[in-house]
Amino acid sequence: MSDLDRAIEQLRACRLIPESQVRELCYKARELLIEEGNVVSVDAPVTICGDIHGQFHDLMELFRVGGDVPDTNYLFMGDFVDRGFYSLESFLLLLCLKVRYPDRITLIRGNHESRQITTVYGFYDECIRKYGSANVWRYCCEVFDYLALGAIVLGASSELEPTSSGMGDMTQSTMPVDDGELETEVLNSRGEVTMSTYRPRQRSSSDASTDSRNISPPRDISAAPGQTAAPTRTGAPGTGASGDGNGSATTCRTGAVLCVHGGLSPLIDSVDKIRLIDRKQEVPHEGAMCDLLWSDPDEIEGWGLSPRGAGFLFGGDIVKQFNHLNGLSLVARAHQLVMEGYKEMFDGGIVTVWSAPNYCYRCGNVAAILELGEDTSSGGTVARSNGEYGRSNGVGANGIANTVVSPGRRYRVFEAAAQDTRGMPAKKPVADYFL
Amino acid sequence: MALELQPPDGRKRVKVYELRENDWFDRGTGFCTGHISGDVPRIYVESEDEPNRVLLETKITKDDGYQKQQETLIVWTEQSGTDMALSFQEAEGCAVIWEFVNSVQQHLLSLAAADDALSDDLESYQSIVLPAPELGNLSDIEQIVRAASMTQAGRDALSKFIIRDEYIGKLVPLVTMAEDLESLVDLHRLCNIMKSLILLNDNTIIETVVADQIILGVVGALEYDPEFPTHKANHRQYLSDQSRYKEVVPIKDPLIRRKIRSTWRLQYLKDVVLARILDDPTFSVLNSLIFFNQMEIVNHIQSNAPFLRELFSVFDPRYTDIKRKDDAVQFLHQCAAIAKNLQAPSRAQLFANFISHGLFAVIAFAVKHPNPAMRTTGIDILVALLDHDPVMMRGYMLKAVNEKKTPLTDTLIDLLHAETDLGVKNQLADAIKILLDPQIPLQEPIARAGPDYFKVRSSNLLSDAFVQQHFDESSKRLFQPLKQIANRASLNDLTFQEVTLYSHLVDILTFFVRQHLFRTRNAIHSESLAPRVAQLLTAPQKHLKLVALKFFRTLISLQDTFYQALMTHNNTFGLILDIVYETMPRDNLLNSACLELFEFIKRENIKPFILHVVEKYREKLENITYVDTFQNLILRYDQMQGYGAEADSTLFSQDDGTPRRLPLNGQRWQGVKELDAAEEEYFNTSDDEDEWTQENRTTLAVGVANGSASPVVKPLVDYPDDDDDDAMDTKPEELADQSAEAQPLTVGDIQVEPSPEPTTSEPSSPTAQTPPVPERLSEKRRREEEDEDELVKLAAGPKRRSSTSSNSGAGFLNRKKTLSIGSIGSVEKGGTQGVLGTVTSSAPPKRIAINIGPVKSSVSDNATCGETVSSESNEKENRDDSQAEESG
Repeated sequence: MSDLDRAIEQLRACRLIPESQVRELCYKARELLIEEGNVVSVDAPVTICGDIHGQFHDLMELFRVGGDVPDTNYLFMGDFVDRGFYSLESFLLLLCLKVRYPDRITLIRGNHESRQITTVYGFYDECIRKYGSANVWRYCCEVFDYLALGAIVLGASSELEPTSSGMGDMTQSTMPVDDGELETEVLNSRGEVTMSTYRPRQRSSSDASTDSRNISPPRDISAAPGQTAAPTRTGAPGTGASGDGNGSATTCRTGAVLCVHGGLSPLIDSVDKIRLIDRKQEVPHEGAMCDLLWSDPDEIEGWGLSPRGAGFLFGGDIVKQFNHLNGLSLVARAHQLVMEGYKEMFDGGIVTVWSAPNYCYRCGNVAAILELGEDTSSGGTVARSNGEYGRSNGVGANGIANTVVSPGRRYRVFEAAAQDTRGMPAKKPVADYFL
Repeated sequence: MALELQPPDGRKRVKVYELRENDWFDRGTGFCTGHISGDVPRIYVESEDEPNRVLLETKITKDDGYQKQQETLIVWTEQSGTDMALSFQEAEGCAVIWEFVNSVQQHLLSLAAADDALSDDLESYQSIVLPAPELGNLSDIEQIVRAASMTQAGRDALSKFIIRDEYIGKLVPLVTMAEDLESLVDLHRLCNIMKSLILLNDNTIIETVVADQIILGVVGALEYDPEFPTHKANHRQYLSDQSRYKEVVPIKDPLIRRKIRSTWRLQYLKDVVLARILDDPTFSVLNSLIFFNQMEIVNHIQSNAPFLRELFSVFDPRYTDIKRKDDAVQFLHQCAAIAKNLQAPSRAQLFANFISHGLFAVIAFAVKHPNPAMRTTGIDILVALLDHDPVMMRGYMLKAVNEKKTPLTDTLIDLLHAETDLGVKNQLADAIKILLDPQIPLQEPIARAGPDYFKVRSSNLLSDAFVQQHFDESSKRLFQPLKQIANRASLNDLTFQEVTLYSHLVDILTFFVRQHLFRTRNAIHSESLAPRVAQLLTAPQKHLKLVALKFFRTLISLQDTFYQALMTHNNTFGLILDIVYETMPRDNLLNSACLELFEFIKRENIKPFILHVVEKYREKLENITYVDTFQNLILRYDQMQGYGAEADSTLFSQDDGTPRRLPLNGQRWQGVKELDAAEEEYFNTSDDEDEWTQENRTTLAVGVANGSASPVVKPLVDYPDDDDDDAMDTKPEELADQSAEAQPLTVGDIQVEPSPEPTTSEPSSPTAQTPPVPERLSEKRRREEEDEDELVKLAAGPKRRSSTSSNSGAGFLNRKKTLSIGSIGSVEKGGTQGVLGTVTSSAPPKRIAINIGPVKSSVSDNATCGETVSSESNEKENRDDSQAEESG
C-alpha cells in the first residue's frame, strides 16, 4: 500500500495526515494541475457535484450514493472548504483522490478557494486550529491557485440508461408506452426513482435496441395535491438552435456541458476565451476569472448587478446565446444553495447543483449530484487527458450538425449523513493554553 | 407620575464602547452621570478631553436589558438595536450607576404594571417559577423552559428567575444522579434544559455556567445530546484536565486566574460544545465575554512589571531551561494572537511594552530555533507586529542599521537562504516583503491609532536616501543567490531547495517592482537581475517558469521605459516564445499564462513590445497558428508599418517639451541595442514627478493585469489611435512612451470616453449580439479611474498592500476618498458571524421536511417555495460575502 493509499484511508476515516504529507501532496497536486487547461475536458460518464463546504461526513454520503472513486468519475465544481467543520479533511481527501486517480476526478475552483475568503469563512481558522500554524493553509492556497476554472463534459448521452434496480427499488413496474427518450430522472438516496421526464422521440433509426426499457413511470411519491410531474419542456429539445437547412442536420448531437462554479461572464463569449486567462493568481475582484467563480443566473434579461458584490447576474437570453454559440447544451454550476439539491433554469439551459445537505448543519436542504451518461451509440470516445489537444473540442459548432440535444440527466438526491455515522460536528479545541 | 428617584451623585470615569460589526468600538473615555430631567431618566457620558462633547446620552426604558457583568461593566442594547457597553474604572462607580438603572427600571416597570394593558402578560411571566430541581420534575421543567423561550418576555422572565434562584447550580447535582441511575432519558432532558438556558443568551447565566463549581455539571449534561443518542462526548474529561493550563511565570492575582479559566471554558463552549447550535446573539455574547476577559487579562499582564521582567528574563542566555524558553515563546505568541483582537491603542501599548522588555530578542531566539514549529511561532509573532504597524517595525529596523547593529532583515534574509522548512521559508519571505517595503502606508496606522501615535512614531522616520540605501543593500544581500545563477550552465540540476528559494526570491522581486518600481530599479539594474529571472524561464520546473513569467508580465504591465528596455534588451521574449512552442498546442496553465501575456500586449497595444517581438521573432510568431493571438500581433505591426508618416507632426508636437534624444527620422526601430549606458543612467535618475507618474500608472496597470481577459481594460496610456500609428515606424520606443508620459494627467479624461480603437473593445464582442452589458461595466470603467476602488481590488494579497498602493494613487490624483479598511480582527469575526447569519434560528436545527417529489415542475407550489427559501439564504450569503469583499 503506497503512502498515498494510506493517506486516503486515513482521511476517509476523517483523520488528518501529518503536515509533511500535506506539503508533499500539495506539491504533487500542483505538478498535476499545472498541466490542466483553464477548462478541463472531461468525457462522460461523469458525476457532477456542487459545493461541499467542509461537510466531510456528507461527502462520504455523496460517495456512498454516487459510487466510490475510482468506480465513478467525479467532477467537483469548487467550494470544498469553509463553513463546515471539516474543510481540511474534505479538501485533502479530494486532493489525494485527484493525485491518485488524476483521470477519474476533476476539481475546479470555487469562489471559496481563495486566500481572502478562507480567512473570513473558517478554513484558515481550521488550519490554525488543527495544525497549529498557517503553513497548511498556505500550501492549500497555493494549490487553489492552480485549480482549473471550468470543465467541459463531452460525449454525454442524450438519453438515460434505465436505472438499474439493484439498489432496492422493488416497486418496479412494467414499462409503460414508449413515449420518448428518458431525459431526466430524479433518484432518492436509496436509488428509487422519484420523477422522470421524457422528451418526444426524435430519431427514427439507430436506437431500436434501447426502445424496450424497463423504467418506472413518472411517480409522484410525495403526492402533494395539485402538484404534477409535468415535463418542463415541450417541442424541440435543445437550446433553441434550429437547423438551417443543412443536410447533415439529421445527426443529432448531444451538446457539450460546461461546468463552472459561478456562471458566465460578459467578458467571455466563447469557451476558448477562458483559455486566455492566466489563472494562477488569487481570485481577482473583477474580470473574467472573477465572474466565472462568482456570477449567478437570475430571472432577468441580459446582465445585472450581483448583490454579492462580485460577478454578475445573467438572464436566460444570455445562457441561451452562450450555449448556442459554443455548441453547448447545458451549463452546470454550483454556488447557490438550492433546497431541492438541484434546480434547472431557462428551459434546462443551466442547472445549479448543490451537494452540501443540511448546509451549515442547519439549513435543512437536501443535496444532489448530477450524473451524465456516456453516449455509446457513436462509438468510442477520445481518451481524455490533462492538457487536451484540439482546443475547440466540442465547441464552436462549425460545420457540425446544428441540432444540439441536451444530455440525459440523472439527479441523485441525498440527505445529510445519518447522525450516528458522522459523530457530532464540532471544531477541534485548542490543546494547551496559557491565557 | 413623577419619578421619585434620586440620580446618583458624582461623576464616574468610564469608557464607552459600541458594538460595530461585531467588534467593540471605543467611543472614548469620559465621565458618567445619571440624570432625571422632565421625568426622563438618562445616562450621560461627557468626554474627558472635551468636557462639552457628549459621548453617550441614552434614555433608560424599562425594556432595555441592562446587564452588569463582572464588577465594572454595564452592557445593554439601545432602542436602535446597537449594543453598548460602559466599562467603569472603579467597581464602585459601576455599582452606583447600576443601582440607578435598576431602580429606574423597577420604578418604570411598576408604573407600567399599573396601567399597561399588557401587564397581565408581564405579570404572569414575572412569576415564572420552575418546579423544584428534581429528577422527577425534569419533564415539566423542560416544557416550561421551552415554552418560555418562545417569546422575548418569557425569556426575560425565565432568565430573571434562573439568576435569582441560582437554578443552574441546583440542576448540576442531577447530572451525576441521573448518571448513577443510568437514566438516559433524564440526561437527555437535562441536556435540552441546559441548551435552552444557555441560548437564553443572558450574560449572567453564561458567566454562571463557566464558573468553577458549575461548569463540569453543565458540560456533563451537554455530553448527552438527544440528537446523537448513541454518542457521548467527553467534555468533562477535557475541561477538568488541569495540565492543559501552562504557566511560564505564575500569575498571582486570583481574579485574573479565574478569568483565564473562564475564558478558556467560554472558548471551548463556543467552539466545541455549542458549535453546532449557536445562534447569532449567543455567539456574540460569548464573543464579547471572551473579548472583555482577554482585554483585562492582557491589561493585567502588561501593567505587571515584575511579571514581565521575570517572563523576559527566561530568555537570558545564561538561563538554561530550554523547555521554559519554548513555553515563554508560546506564551508571547498567544498574547500576540489575543492582541490582534484588541483595539489599536491597547494593542500598541502591549506591543510597545513587550518590545521595551526585549521582544525582538525573543523573536531572534525563536527564528533560529532548531525546531521548525518554534521558528513558525517566532515568525508569527513578528508577523503580528508587522500587521499591527509595519512603519514602526521598519523604524526599529532602520534604527538598528543606523546604530550599526545587525538589523532584523539581515537575520531574516540569511534565514530565508538557509531555511529548509518550506512553511517557515514561506513566512520568512512574507515578512521580508513587508519589512523591506519602503513605501510608507501612512493612512492606515494613523487612522487606527490617532494623532498621538503619529507623533511618537515620526521620530522613527529616516531620510529617504537612507531608506533607499538600506533597501539597495538589503536587496543585494537578498537576491544574491539569484545573481549566482549566472554561473550555472544549465538549470537542469536544481535542487528542490533551490527551486523553492528562487521562486520566493522572484516572487519578492515581483512584489517590489509592483509596489515601488523606481526604488527597485537600482537593485535590478546593478545586480542585473532581469537576465537571471529570464534564465529561470528555461528551468525544467514549470511552476518556476510560471513565477518568472509572472515577473515579466508585471514588468510589461508597468508600461515603464526602463523595464521595457530590460525586456527588449535581451532574448526574454524569445524564451517566452520557446515556452509557447514547448507547450503548444496543449492547453495548460503555462500555455495560457503565455497567451495571456501576449494578449495583454496586443490589447494594450504596447508598441515597443509589438515592434520588438514582431521584428525579432516574426518567423516564430507566424508558425504559431493554433490561436490567433500571434497573427493579430503581426497584423498590428504591419498596420503600424503600413502607412506613411503623416501623423508625425502630432507626435512631435507632443514631444517638444521632452528632453529625450530626438529619433533619427526614417531609421527603423532597431530593437535590442537601443539603450546605451548613458541612457540607462538617465532612466535611473529620472526626476521625481516622473516617478510619481509611473508609480501611479504602475498601480493602475497592475490592476488591469489582474483583470485578465477583461474588455473593460482602458488604455493606460494615450497612445495615438490606430490611424495615427503610422508615425511609429520611424521612432524608437522611448519616444512613443515619452509622448504619453508627457501628459500623464490626462489619463483620466481619456478613459472616460470609450476608446475608439476597435481592438480595445474586441473582447467585449460577446455582447455584440447579446443584450447590452450591464450598466455596471461602464460604471466599472468609470470607477477604474478613481484609483482607490481599482486599487483596493489589487489587494488580492494581504490587506496592508491595498492601503499601500491606494496611498500612492490617491496622493497622485488628489482624490479624497476614504478607504474603510476594517481591522482583520473585525473582518474575521464578522465572517464567522456571517456563517451563522446564513440561517438564524434559536432552536436546535430542524430538518425541514422536503418533498423530493416532482418539484421540477416550475409551477408547483413546492418548487416555488423552495426557490424562495433558497434565494433568501443566498441573499444572506451574498451579504456576508460582499461584506468580506468590502472589508478586504
